[in-house]
Amino acid sequence: MARAFRATTRGYKADLESHERRLLSQLCADVITMLETRGKQLTGDDAPAGTDAEDDYAHFRRELAGLGDQIDGSDAAGGLAPPDDAALARLLPDASSDPQEAAQFRRLSESSLRESKLADLRAARMALEGEPVSLTEEQAPVFGRALNDVRLTLASRLGVEDEADAEQIHQMAKAGSAATTEALMAELYAFSTWLQETLFSAMLDVMPEDD
Amino acid sequence: MSSTAGSTLTHQETDLHLQGVINRPYQVVVWNDPVNLMSYVAWVFRSYFGHSKEKARELMLQVHHRGKAVVSSGAREKMERHVTAMHNYGLQATLEEAE
Repeated sequence: MARAFRATTRGYKADLESHERRLLSQLCADVITMLETRGKQLTGDDAPAGTDAEDDYAHFRRELAGLGDQIDGSDAAGGLAPPDDAALARLLPDASSDPQEAAQFRRLSESSLRESKLADLRAARMALEGEPVSLTEEQAPVFGRALNDVRLTLASRLGVEDEADAEQIHQMAKAGSAATTEALMAELYAFSTWLQETLFSAMLDVMPEDD
Repeated sequence: MSSTAGSTLTHQETDLHLQGVINRPYQVVVWNDPVNLMSYVAWVFRSYFGHSKEKARELMLQVHHRGKAVVSSGAREKMERHVTAMHNYGLQATLEEAE
């Protein structure tokens, strides 16, 4: 049985079962793959024969949406279109409600945002190798961000769009059947939510009072 | 992006109205979403922006109940960095011109 994150004299620790650590690490790896694939698509590094049809279709859809993209995802004004995938679009959101402004901002900042997220996720996988999982004060926010990206990805895959959806997922997780992929994802979402809540509650507790 | 570099107007000649346009403040708006935890959002506002406990909680509740909150305002470049930092924390943030 997992024991939540709590503050220690040197940071934070949580006792997780080895299968829990393995599942979380695998989820981090999945998000890493998504982000890396996006990077490769933009730099044109990926052109394996098998994905041609899919790429053509994605391009076609962007054209259809009136974004007039080049194949590398840049638009006529030199901006960068958001990812088609909903989970990726949530991890790398638009920085402006004005699509043109958002595309320009993305052109300048998306790759560094991707790299920061990749570094967080890789560090989280390292931390998940340990038993107990222990984090220094410096590592805790890094682990928290990675865990949050995992949660955002699961929530997107589960179609969570409002608080009622989120509540439904928690109910599904409570039922605990894990009989379907969706039920398993719901359990993982509830588990990572619980883990993150305990970590940040502990972090808020030890945060010094205002100057 | 606007810049005063290369302007033919000296500082003394710049009238207040024009200066207002050039230095127009921008703001960072954080939007509500059903995934980010209240404890996490409050922690980010405290640790990243250095907001007080009360201010961070107030902004977090404003995001939660009203759907969005202005968490910082100032020069455009600085606000751009804040927006990217918020995205790194997984918060939905946008850059907007201040009213």
